[in-house]
Amino acid sequence: MSKPDRPQGAPAGTKRIPTPTEPDVDVIVVGAGPAGAAAALVLARAGRSVYLLERGPFPGSKNMYGGVIYGRILDTLIPRWWEEAPVQRWVTRRATMVMTPTQALTIDYRTAAWGEAPYNGATAFRPDFDAWLADHAVAAGATLVPSTTAVGLLRGDRGQIVGVQTDRPDGDLTARLVIACDGVNSFLAKEAGLYHHPEAEHFTLGAKEVLALPRDEIEKRFGLRGLEGADFEIIGCTPGIAGGGFIYTNLESVAVGVVLSLEDLKRSGKRPEELIAGLKAHPAVAPLVEGAELTEYSAHLIPEAGLHMMPELYGPGMLVAGDAGAFCLAAGIWLEGVNFAIGSGKVAGEVAVQALRAGDTSATFLGRYQDALTDTFALADHIKLQGAPALVMSDNVQRRYPELVCSLVESLFTVTNPTPKKGALRLAREAAKGSGVRLRDLARDGWAALRSYG
Amino acid sequence: MAEPAGPAGPTIAVALKWVDLRPDIDRVTGATHHDVRFFGCSAADQAALEHALRIGERFGWPVVAVSAGPAEADAVLRDALAVGASAAIRVDIEAGARSQHSAAALHDALATIDGLRLVCCGDWSLDRGSGSVPAFVAAHLGWGQALGLVGVDLDGDAGDGAFTVTRRLDQGRREVLRIDGPAVLSFEGGTAELRRAPLAAVLRTRDAAIVPLAGPPAPHHRLRVVHRGPDRPRARVLPPPDASLSPRERILALTGALVERTPPRTVVCEPDDAADLILDQLRAWGYLD
Repeated sequence: MSKPDRPQGAPAGTKRIPTPTEPDVDVIVVGAGPAGAAAALVLARAGRSVYLLERGPFPGSKNMYGGVIYGRILDTLIPRWWEEAPVQRWVTRRATMVMTPTQALTIDYRTAAWGEAPYNGATAFRPDFDAWLADHAVAAGATLVPSTTAVGLLRGDRGQIVGVQTDRPDGDLTARLVIACDGVNSFLAKEAGLYHHPEAEHFTLGAKEVLALPRDEIEKRFGLRGLEGADFEIIGCTPGIAGGGFIYTNLESVAVGVVLSLEDLKRSGKRPEELIAGLKAHPAVAPLVEGAELTEYSAHLIPEAGLHMMPELYGPGMLVAGDAGAFCLAAGIWLEGVNFAIGSGKVAGEVAVQALRAGDTSATFLGRYQDALTDTFALADHIKLQGAPALVMSDNVQRRYPELVCSLVESLFTVTNPTPKKGALRLAREAAKGSGVRLRDLARDGWAALRSYG
Repeated sequence: MAEPAGPAGPTIAVALKWVDLRPDIDRVTGATHHDVRFFGCSAADQAALEHALRIGERFGWPVVAVSAGPAEADAVLRDALAVGASAAIRVDIEAGARSQHSAAALHDALATIDGLRLVCCGDWSLDRGSGSVPAFVAAHLGWGQALGLVGVDLDGDAGDGAFTVTRRLDQGRREVLRIDGPAVLSFEGGTAELRRAPLAAVLRTRDAAIVPLAGPPAPHHRLRVVHRGPDRPRARVLPPPDASLSPRERILALTGALVERTPPRTVVCEPDDAADLILDQLRAWGYLD
């Protein structure tokens, strides 16, 4: 086979250059997603020169996202952000659904408080949200450089990172510090030698359909009014594959999708769209989405394993934030990403400001990043919940417990006249036996859950 | 204008339209929703710009980018400056102006360029374009128009400042024209890939001030649009394949298969071997260490 040319945007590998005495810019932030925009915003506000590189034509142009944006971290960056942020709906209804192929048990919580300032979470389109956040960074003085991909690192005399190579002609850019927010498959963190756990078992594949429905139909089907929104997290909807599902309401569309263990998906031979089709056909979901028109389909890797897959978060001349640093919380009842991206990006920006002020971008100084993260939810939650991803993806939680719970509830609510009702304990024993759950499994997983969530 | 239009002498102007590249068109009602973030230059305008730059480089002529549109159209002019245009002029008219109005506005811009020799355009715009603007511009200038161009030959010994172009005619025919004087050239999309702008040029031109010229008044016509049907997405135009190729080769060229890239291979093997092959290829491309 003849060696082909390197495609545009493909990695270029590290290049050595003499350490620049006057770099082009103080900081290069690679990736204008929520993490990168937050880092650039903090740096620009501190008066530092920042280039915010974005490979798409505008921030958020990839538009792969199926979640709720939790805004408390934004309070610290953009006070009263809710008055201007481009949200679709404010989530006032949070449902956790446990499913088998024919059954569903939903714990459905709703509160009016989440529909008022300062709000709890919102659905949003990433092209709108990311562009809005990046606009704040630009307004503060950051320079957004779109349609430009960082394809490699520049290292100086002592091996420290002093910039990036881009895919443009004469595209080398030098800086005192690089912040890699280049997403889940961070080529820069890998190239810097910071990524030690790229194994497939740590990732899931998120696949999402956006289904258009009239606004009033969405409000009728989901029991919403005005800008109220619903967030359904689902477990047990991916037969034979560890993962889960979700439904989020936008203003005039509904996002329905699945999150799938890569290894299970490969073993199953199934395709993600088959599983979404199965979810949409489920009796508990079909009435919510029937008649909707598919307008988008997308898929994206998710750094699922939390603390267990995190790269080293700093190196000489470099910090890692957002999905690139595995700052995505997939802990069953808590599925959060954008807030962790913003939180880690903000801290990266703050530590970068300190480093520039001290004139020290060595790994030793930048180690403060990890310490600072530990003092915030961005890393503290991952440490606390480090056992959660494995528990959530276990066969018991994925398959046996949904069967157990649904069978138990069905037998509880099935009226068996003229046969007298059985006691709840007996029903529970029968349901456990039927679903293959052993008492010691329950005890072990209960203890694990207590340690994680307690 | 970002910079003075350059010294007197042969100058090339390239007309660029700021247009929605991905309009969201309701298939039932035809209602069109525009998102300003997806606006830019059509493939035909990009091809025109690339051809203009190549002609300019061949003969040492500067290229001036012109556009008729609202302030947001400055974005396509800055992009043109980044890839090598020496100056940019925008005439301020509203988006969606009719062809005669756009052409008159472009002519106002062209009138400020000393030594104008060529005007390069895309053949038609992506929105409701019918290809009439280049013809109107040619009429304003009193020049000839070469339309439907699919190639430029700058290597031939055609004389000082002269070159040949190939244009597509109906029924697959081709015609070669010699251009040795002022002319309006309109290019089909896909006939040249616009070069990537160097990073320094992108940074230098991102805030380039483009002082707009006041646009002419909209012309009054006895013909008025009284009804307009729904928009429909435009078909993507592909460059015609080389007529000397066999039918099979022409189909391959049209579909993009086996053309200007490493030919794909079909292998039948076990999954493990397939994975090894994929990894080898990723290594060859530099994705893996």
